[in-house]
Amino acid sequence: MYRRWLIVFAASLLLWSIVCQVNHYLAPYGAYLSVGGLLVTFAALRLNLRNGLTATILIALAVDSLEPVPAVANHLIFGPHLLLFATAHVLIFHLRNRFPREETLFGLGTALLANLAIFPGLSFLYVELAAPPASGTASLRLLADLGWSQLFILIAAPWFFSLQERALELAHVELAEEDNRFY
Amino acid sequence: MSSKRFDQARPFLSLGIIVLAWLLLPVGVKSFLRVTFFELQAPVQVTASYVRDLQEFWADRSHSKDELIEAAHQLRHAYAGYEFQAQQAEAQQAEIARLEGLLRLPSNPKYRFEPARVCRRDLSGWWQQLTIRKGSNYDLTVGAPVVYSGGVVGRVREVRLYEADVDLVSSPRLRLAATFENDTRPVSYQGGNNPPLAPARGIVEFVPPDIVAYSSTPLRLVTSGLGEFPPGLTIGYVQRLETSPDGLFQSGEVSLDRRLTELTEVTVLVQLPPD
Repeated sequence: MYRRWLIVFAASLLLWSIVCQVNHYLAPYGAYLSVGGLLVTFAALRLNLRNGLTATILIALAVDSLEPVPAVANHLIFGPHLLLFATAHVLIFHLRNRFPREETLFGLGTALLANLAIFPGLSFLYVELAAPPASGTASLRLLADLGWSQLFILIAAPWFFSLQERALELAHVELAEEDNRFY
Repeated sequence: MSSKRFDQARPFLSLGIIVLAWLLLPVGVKSFLRVTFFELQAPVQVTASYVRDLQEFWADRSHSKDELIEAAHQLRHAYAGYEFQAQQAEAQQAEIARLEGLLRLPSNPKYRFEPARVCRRDLSGWWQQLTIRKGSNYDLTVGAPVVYSGGVVGRVREVRLYEADVDLVSSPRLRLAATFENDTRPVSYQGGNNPPLAPARGIVEFVPPDIVAYSSTPLRLVTSGLGEFPPGLTIGYVQRLETSPDGLFQSGEVSLDRRLTELTEVTVLVQLPPD
C-alpha cells in the first residue's frame, strides 16, 4: 500500500529544506520567510482526514525541531508549530467541501489565508509571551517578514501543489478517489 | 442525520485528542521527538553547508596568482603584528598569574577555543539563531560563549551530537551583563528590536545618568565578565542614551556589527576545568 501521508510529508520536507536555505541567504538582508500555511494546505484540501493530519503533524514536528522552544514564565512550550498547523489543518478540512478545492487558484488563496492566520499565532507565542514587550520596530519587522512570506507563497504555491500531485500520481494514488474518502 | 453531524464534528474531535495527547505527553518524549526530527533533517542542512564550503573553495581557486601573492604579503604583515601582540599577552598572563598567587585570588576561568563552521543562519523577528557544525562530540556545553573577530556572537542554547544552536547577541532571548569601555559599572544588555532590511540592534538598560553618548563618538559596550563571557569582548556601540521613565537610569539602542548576519565561522569558548 502506498503511504499517501509519507509522500505528502516528503514533499513538504523538501519545501521546508528549500525555505531553510533561502532563509540562510536572506539573513544578511534582514528578511525571513515563514511558509506554514503552504505546508498545511495541500494535505488539508486533498487528502482524507487521517492521512492529511498525519502528514501535517509530521511536518509540524520537523519544523519545531529546528526552531527554538518558546519559554513562557519559565515553562517551555513544546510544539507551537504542531498546535497551530493542526488547528489550521482541521479548519481548512472542515470548510473544504464548500469550495472548488481541486483548483490551484483556490489552493493558493487558502495557503495565503492559512499563513496569514499562523504567522500572528507564532508572533503571539514567540514575541508577546516569550520575549520582552515588542516595540514598533519589532512589529515592523514581523509585518515585513509576513509580506515576504506571502510573496514567496504566491510564487511557490502552484509549483508545490503540482509537485505533490505529480508525486502522488507516480505512486499510483488516485486523488479523485481520495477526495471521496473522509477518513 | 446524527451520523452526519458526528462526521462534521470528527475533525475537531481529532484535533482535541491530538492537543490533549500532546499536552499530556511527558517532556522526555517531546524532547526525544525533537531530537529525532532534527536528526532526520540534519544531513540536508549539513550537506548544504558542505556544498557552500565547496563553492567558496572553487571561488578562491579562481583568484589569480598575483592576487594570492598580494594576499600572502598582507597576511605576513598581519602575522608579524599578531605575533608581537601574542608575546605581550603571554607576558601579561604571566604577570596576572603572579599577582593572583601573591594576593591569593581565585584565578579567572580559562578557555579552549573551538572554531566551528556555521551550518544554518535563522534570523527572524521571532528569534535569531545560528546552527554550527560541532556539538557534544567536541565537548561543547549549553551556555558556552561564542565569539568572532568582531566580538560576541552569542551563547550556545542547545547541543546535539554533531551540531549546536547558538542564540545570537541580536536575539530577543539573549540577555547579558555588560559595561561601557573604561567604566566598571554593570549595565544590562538585551537583543531585540531587529528592523527589516537593516542590521540587527540591541537594547542597553540601567545605564547610570552620568554616562553620555554622542553619535559622533559612540560608546563601546563590552562584556562585564559577570556570567559566562570573559570581560572586554565587544557587544556593540551606543550612539544615543535616553533617560528612562523612572528618571534614575538611561537606556538606548546598541548598534551591532553588520558581519553578525553574514558569519560563516565562529569560535566557541569551552571552559577548562580549574587547575
